[in-house]
Amino acid sequence: MALIDVRNLKKTFPIHGGVLGRKVGEVVAVDDVSFSVEPGETLGLVGESGCGKSTTGRTIMRLYEPTAGEVEFAGKKLFQLKAEELRQVRRDLQMVFQDPFASLNPRQKISTILEEPLIVHGLGDAQERKEQVRELLHVVGMNESHASRYPHQFSGGQRQRIGIARALSTRPKLIIADEPVSALDVSIQSQVLNLMMDLQEQFELTYIFIAHDLSVVKHISDRVGVMYLGRLVELAPRDELYKKPLHPYTEALLSAVPVPDPDAKKERIILSGDVPSPDNPPQGCAFHPRCPHVMDVCRETRPIFDDAGGGHFVACHLHNAKA
Amino acid sequence: MTQPVLEIQHLKLHFFTDKGVVKAVDGLDLTIREGEIVGLVGESGCGKSVTSLAVMGLVPQPPGKIVDGSIRFQGTDLTKASQRELRQIRGKDMAMIFQEPMTSLNPLFTIGNQLIEAVRAHRSCSKAEARELAREMLEKVGIARKGVLDEYPHQLSGGMRQRVMIAMAMILNPRLLIADEPTTALDVTIQAQILELMQRLNEEFGTAILLITHDLGVVAEMCDRIVVMYAGQVVEETDRYRLFRQPRHPYTQGLLLSIPKLDEQKERLYAIPGQVPNPYQMPAGCRFAPRCTQVMDVCRQTVPPLAPVEQGHVSRCFLHQKEESHHGTD
Repeated sequence: MALIDVRNLKKTFPIHGGVLGRKVGEVVAVDDVSFSVEPGETLGLVGESGCGKSTTGRTIMRLYEPTAGEVEFAGKKLFQLKAEELRQVRRDLQMVFQDPFASLNPRQKISTILEEPLIVHGLGDAQERKEQVRELLHVVGMNESHASRYPHQFSGGQRQRIGIARALSTRPKLIIADEPVSALDVSIQSQVLNLMMDLQEQFELTYIFIAHDLSVVKHISDRVGVMYLGRLVELAPRDELYKKPLHPYTEALLSAVPVPDPDAKKERIILSGDVPSPDNPPQGCAFHPRCPHVMDVCRETRPIFDDAGGGHFVACHLHNAKA
Repeated sequence: MTQPVLEIQHLKLHFFTDKGVVKAVDGLDLTIREGEIVGLVGESGCGKSVTSLAVMGLVPQPPGKIVDGSIRFQGTDLTKASQRELRQIRGKDMAMIFQEPMTSLNPLFTIGNQLIEAVRAHRSCSKAEARELAREMLEKVGIARKGVLDEYPHQLSGGMRQRVMIAMAMILNPRLLIADEPTTALDVTIQAQILELMQRLNEEFGTAILLITHDLGVVAEMCDRIVVMYAGQVVEETDRYRLFRQPRHPYTQGLLLSIPKLDEQKERLYAIPGQVPNPYQMPAGCRFAPRCTQVMDVCRQTVPPLAPVEQGHVSRCFLHQKEESHHGTD
């Protein structure tokens, strides 16, 4: 049974304009996104800026109120929970953010930052919490002398370790990590990725790993979903997706990644133009204005996100036609 | 061999701050020849961007100061050039593009105005001629849409803005283009477009390019030669094939091992232990020694020289120098 099941998730943001600040339009940030994640699994979500991957993560956490859709997490329908129930569920559902500089309170000591979730959820007494903080620091490869320092005294990599320790403090089942390594240098990035994989094993964690870097996502994920303009266009087991991408966008995206090997021969598919504006997405398939294989049907009908075999989901008329 | 366009010799650029001296660039040698694309790679704080700013004469002095070395551009030593001389070279013979195009374009002027200004600052021609040149250049960088000349920077996407920056940099056909993380802020499909454009301009106009980036994938695809920096110093330099096939410096080796790759799947990534040294307290010997897995006693005491390991391949490491002398006695 899936730990988390996301069904037809939709999130729109209003655009206000004019002198009176009336609503003049809306941005569809996440549009009919469905997926599920099994316990212990890592699901990667990739896509370019503005594709809605971060909004998907934040809406699942109910940091944004959803416009439509449903999320079932460990048997509970998240979007129907009242404030107090939601607070309790959040113990099992934590988040790690991209910017370790912005997501830690600069006025709080590390011990306070790590202890706070425990206090909020009423876990342990003062002595136990102190012991917990010490253990958490060890788990993420730091030591207790760090507990009395402030965030600015740490490097980016160490801050991200603290962010991870905070997420771990309530012993969650699921961690949504939103670009957790994109602000880090390569040598530090690999330290943090290894740490996340070790912790997953140690604490039987389930991850939703959101990132724009296709190589990083490939390294850490069991299954990978590709988003474009608010929609999930493809979702498949990792090797399947990277070896046999079905959606033309996934194909172009993979071919565009520069490979650190001068001997690699590759056919690059250069997409023309930019991603269209999400306040006025194209009719039919959102990718059709840039698609090298566009057909008439793509301009009119939105393709269904469907299983093309073996759990390889794709939303493309090229493959829907075959089925 | 073709003439060097840019020749940096033993450059030392230090910042004098209240907390102490930061040796941001500490004895850097770098040569770029006509039409060559050279990659300068390294992690944040290694001094790669400061190097480019020093070449352009854009380092704020104080707190920065070039304490030693020379930067020769087509024979002129830029470290001794007056502001007036620098202004004549900058924008005309040597141009730069930055990571964030939005902060390098003036939001209050139209694209056309900014391009025309760039032309007329260096060349006496009418506004109409300059405008025509601007239009042609925009076409060359792939902006065919009419009317862009009359638009403001905020009306363009990130990729378009970077194209405008490239057009502005290339409009007077410079000999050297310095590109500091030109695609880092862009999405990967847009990055592919911009890299292709830069390659095309390099072939078409023979412009030499100094490409500064942290992305090893980008240098592998773009550069003829690659210079790796660590903590203010060059640690390795060679052509791209040798750098990726046979990296010699332990830092370069570690760096290459720590990036996840699309075409292979590893259980665990290699991670270089520790972190970059505090710029106020650089290690006494080799700056990489505290993180190096093959560290020897000598590394902690003496700074290794940048020495050849084979023809066209230099590395700053005592490991090979030991090998060398060993071979010598055989």
